[in-house]
Amino acid sequence: MEGVAMKLPSFPNAVSIGHRSFSRVRRSSSLSVCSAASSSATISTDSESVSLGHRVRNDFRILHQEVNGSKLVYLDSAATSQKPAAVLDALQNYYEFYNSNVHRGIHYLSAKATDEFELARKKVARFINASDSREIVFTRNATEAINLVAYSWGLSNLKPGDEVILTVAEHHSCIVPWQIVSQKTGAVLKFVTLNEDEVPDIEKLREMISPKTKLVAVHHVSNVLASSLPIEEIVVWAHNVGAKVLVDACQSVPHMVVDVQKLNADFLVASSHKMCGPTGIGFLYGKSDLLHSMPPFLGGGEMISDVFLDHSTYAEPPSRFEAGTPAIGEAIALGAAVDYLSGIGMPKIHEYEVELGRYLYEKLSSLPDVRIYGPRPSESVHRGALCSFNVEGLHPTDLATFLDQQHGVAIRSGHHCAQPLHRYLGVNASARASLYFYNTKEDVDSFIVALADTVSFFNSFK
Amino acid sequence: MAAAMSSSCCASSLRLIPFKRTLFSSIHYPSKTLTLRPLKPSEIPSFRRTIITFQKISTGIVPPPSASSSPSSSGDLQPIEELPPKLQEIVKLFQSVQEPKAKYEQLLFYGKNLKPLDSQFKTRENKVEGCVSQVWVRAFFDEQRNVVYEADSDSLLTKGLAALLVQGLSGRPVPEILRISPDFALLLGLQQSLTPSRSNGFLNMLKLMQKKALHLEVKGVEDSTSESSFVSTPEIKDEASVPEVDSESKPGLVEDLGTEKIDDSDSGSNGVALGSRGMRIRERLEKELNPVELEVEDVSYQHAGHAAVRGSAGDDGETHFNLRIVSDAFQGKSLVKRHRLIYDLLQEELKSGLHALSIVAKTPAEV
Repeated sequence: MEGVAMKLPSFPNAVSIGHRSFSRVRRSSSLSVCSAASSSATISTDSESVSLGHRVRNDFRILHQEVNGSKLVYLDSAATSQKPAAVLDALQNYYEFYNSNVHRGIHYLSAKATDEFELARKKVARFINASDSREIVFTRNATEAINLVAYSWGLSNLKPGDEVILTVAEHHSCIVPWQIVSQKTGAVLKFVTLNEDEVPDIEKLREMISPKTKLVAVHHVSNVLASSLPIEEIVVWAHNVGAKVLVDACQSVPHMVVDVQKLNADFLVASSHKMCGPTGIGFLYGKSDLLHSMPPFLGGGEMISDVFLDHSTYAEPPSRFEAGTPAIGEAIALGAAVDYLSGIGMPKIHEYEVELGRYLYEKLSSLPDVRIYGPRPSESVHRGALCSFNVEGLHPTDLATFLDQQHGVAIRSGHHCAQPLHRYLGVNASARASLYFYNTKEDVDSFIVALADTVSFFNSFK
Repeated sequence: MAAAMSSSCCASSLRLIPFKRTLFSSIHYPSKTLTLRPLKPSEIPSFRRTIITFQKISTGIVPPPSASSSPSSSGDLQPIEELPPKLQEIVKLFQSVQEPKAKYEQLLFYGKNLKPLDSQFKTRENKVEGCVSQVWVRAFFDEQRNVVYEADSDSLLTKGLAALLVQGLSGRPVPEILRISPDFALLLGLQQSLTPSRSNGFLNMLKLMQKKALHLEVKGVEDSTSESSFVSTPEIKDEASVPEVDSESKPGLVEDLGTEKIDDSDSGSNGVALGSRGMRIRERLEKELNPVELEVEDVSYQHAGHAAVRGSAGDDGETHFNLRIVSDAFQGKSLVKRHRLIYDLLQEELKSGLHALSIVAKTPAEV
């Protein structure tokens, strides 16, 4: 209930609450990062400036450990990111000092919790430049957000013969819900294949858009190919035929500036746990008039207006799509993550990652028999800071196991929730090393050395 | 729940081996010890459908690589002497190799020497489920009706594991193979060196090999024309063979044979009430065979020590049954055909965790 006016002491952000209320001393890490924001974001360290990765390292205690006798080198941020102390503090702080159910209560604690929860919503809105915080619906994660659109918007808007355009490189979460809904509605799924640069073929996508198209659902940055799609243009083409666009921004929101007004997308989804926030929370951005036209997804408390025995009336968005008690602490911690990232500055993070990602690509491709998927980096093509790859004649799982066991290097092997893409590329599985702004040049060097050792170990047995 | 073990390779770190489907949520330890976050099911990179729970290990006690074959933590592990001789050798070899890297080398060495599998055998039925990499296993009888295995994989480590099993199990008779409990994998000391998804693949490999051995046996029974064919496995008994079979046969069955146990009522239970599977079996047999007498006895408890029971039942451990059926439906059918008939009727159960049946099948005239 946003209209309720309360006289409360003001708690501008979660970080300051933490420091005011905590008796135990934690590194005031996020504040130090803010003050050092002017330092260089380059990956190399010299006497003058320290690289971003080195600077923030102390905020992430989890990175300072040994696994299997070697220093941990965490290169799996595309699967989930690590969380800075400020985010953990915010979560702890919530439970320790003002945990209470939101929206319904009158008492002090519940008002405080509600305030912080709604503040987190505003922070997320600001982070992606949504025009109104009511365009942010909190969900469990991006997958649930896509399902929300599929079941709520999809079931009531798709008719037999309508077309939904996807790419073969989509994550399963942006394929399966559409399969389910198209089965129920008789809509047809169409898939854009890759071109010779190993990116989805934009020309083909453009050609595929027709008056029959009702939705285009695509990734912003691919979690396997590291390529990005020109969302602004795609939105223009789609809107020309009256189609909507859903953007899966899981690999873009954490790593670069994403401006939903500039993109003009109708829907956008992201997960908190990939952007330094906790698991269990994500969000759907939806244009206001669109959300208002959509029926509920899940039913229950919070999303209703009046409830009778035989029918109910529903609340306005975003509440309409937030049934039941939300992940309050998690949302607030996500807000703290947004603060943390904003404190560093997304442009700075992006700049750092472009450079470090390019370094990774160069070192990796210099190893013999390594095949990296996706486009080559160039002046015009900026890859995301990850490399999915295969080594000729070796299975990625063997590589990942040995890297972990003998070198403490954490990468991922498998299909990365993109089976159709792997089938298209003609492989069963691939290995993937993914970076985030807390990785350093030394991490990449350790990885390359370890990989070379691993490859030679296995090759000696062939 | 999980205990901290220091082993030679992980000095002060704690390894959680999440074998259960419901993986551990975060567990807090005193600040010194470091925890590895268990993998979330969604993160485990595999095309996996099932997770085998390795319930003995989930107590959290993991013996260090130097553990002897009878570690104190696992009093009810299958004793190593019960394993086929070659498998015993392999286990002892791995136990003598302490360093993880050397264990890998040993494993890869086995894999290298594995006879490659002809591509015609790389079929869906031969594929092991639950492996991140692709693994195929093939089984056939040699002249002495011992099972011979062949296997292959696209991953070197998995190939090594497959080679282990092929070497350890090939050339052995079906009953011996079926008796093997997957506990021995613990003894290898490879558990700690392999990720949970991979070691589940290992369990699945073993399971598939045992299943194939069973199929060979059943098919062999089918194909044989003589009624007095000797089918001696601990799981499948028919009347002709019971007197000659090994001493593992349950006393109740031997009784069944010689005398006519008509005293029991149709409830057929020995104090063990029938669970849902038992009821389903009873229903099905009643419906399809119209028996004059029907006894369905749940003897799963007699196999409670058999790890495959715990792992595979999926429901409440209803895995072993004694059946005594007197029905006109058996008229004119050979023993083999009668058993086949019953198996066919209980296909669903066999697929979903029913492990074995002991069958007495008579016509009313024979009783």
